[in-house]
Amino acid sequence: MKVWLWVAAVATAVAAIIIAVDVSVDAHHASAPFYDNTKSAEVNGEVTRFLFRNPHSFLFVDAEGENGETVAWEIEMGTAIMMSRRGWSPDTIKVGDRIKAVGQPSRAPGTYGMCCAELTHPDGSPIRAAD
Amino acid sequence: MTKPTMIICIALLTMAVVAPIDAQDSESVPELSGVWDGGPRARPVNGPDMPWTSENFPVLNERALAFQKVFDEAISPKYDCVPSTPPALVYDPYMMEVVQWPDRVLFRYEKDDQLRTVWLDSREPTPMDYSLQGVSVGHYEEGALHVTTSHYTFDVTGFDDYNGIPSSQMKKVTERYWREGNQLKMRLTVEDEMFLREPASFTTQWDPGPEGYKLQAYGCDPEIARHPVRFLVPKYK
Repeated sequence: MKVWLWVAAVATAVAAIIIAVDVSVDAHHASAPFYDNTKSAEVNGEVTRFLFRNPHSFLFVDAEGENGETVAWEIEMGTAIMMSRRGWSPDTIKVGDRIKAVGQPSRAPGTYGMCCAELTHPDGSPIRAAD
Repeated sequence: MTKPTMIICIALLTMAVVAPIDAQDSESVPELSGVWDGGPRARPVNGPDMPWTSENFPVLNERALAFQKVFDEAISPKYDCVPSTPPALVYDPYMMEVVQWPDRVLFRYEKDDQLRTVWLDSREPTPMDYSLQGVSVGHYEEGALHVTTSHYTFDVTGFDDYNGIPSSQMKKVTERYWREGNQLKMRLTVEDEMFLREPASFTTQWDPGPEGYKLQAYGCDPEIARHPVRFLVPKYK
């Protein structure tokens, strides 16, 4: 019995990690021209908008910048069709939610874009599609 | 010749013409109808090196290489919701629905909400027929559907979504669809003498889609489609 509970717990954890991890694999375009895969950026902030669309979904997050100013980050995610198959909906993330995103920053100077992001709650717990 | 004899002769001649078109041997007509899953469960996701790998990457002529060199990702039509075309469209990781009618086969793609009609009546495209998805004609033979598509309009990224290879009005795509077990298989060959030194091909497959699945609307949002372009470092000013 304990073994089965352990297996179920591991399976649930793996599933949660998969949901929390990058959902931007939608193959609309290569990410490399837009985002620098040699760098990593981390954002902790408040969701101001979640566009659940095709060909990309976008999550807009206001976070504090280096000088205390508010920086509007734009996190590119996958297509709404693909994400919905993984249980996501426009209500999975709501305006006002606080999230943490770690991903590749955009290349163009002065922009605050991100792709290929791992999204979690600020405490590091995964954002579940059923949340 | 008497009138009855003439009528019989005309009837026999008519049957001789019509019969080969209508009498599709059931063994030569594969069951292709249904919803098919072209996503990661069925095959590797598309990218700069899929389905065009180091083994089958198209051999580009000087004109294509010159285009590639000056190509600027920002001008790619997909960022304004212009639909993709074969070969890219058929390898996008989405659902596809196939409907077989006596005179045509319909291919409906979730990606970009596209519909391709493969005519089975041996029609010949005319210069008036140039279009984004071209004109597709096909026939059944030896358990497979053979499709030939031509009369595509020029497309600056008409080969795939990743490598900046254009396609011209001379692009011709041939596809062969058949069943292997519960999979739908397809062999695609693309020719375009404006840009390719020789035809290029790949073989791929689809798994059956989920039971009862209905294709979702893609509904490309033009504002959001172009949104990431601001993150590119401009190639030209």
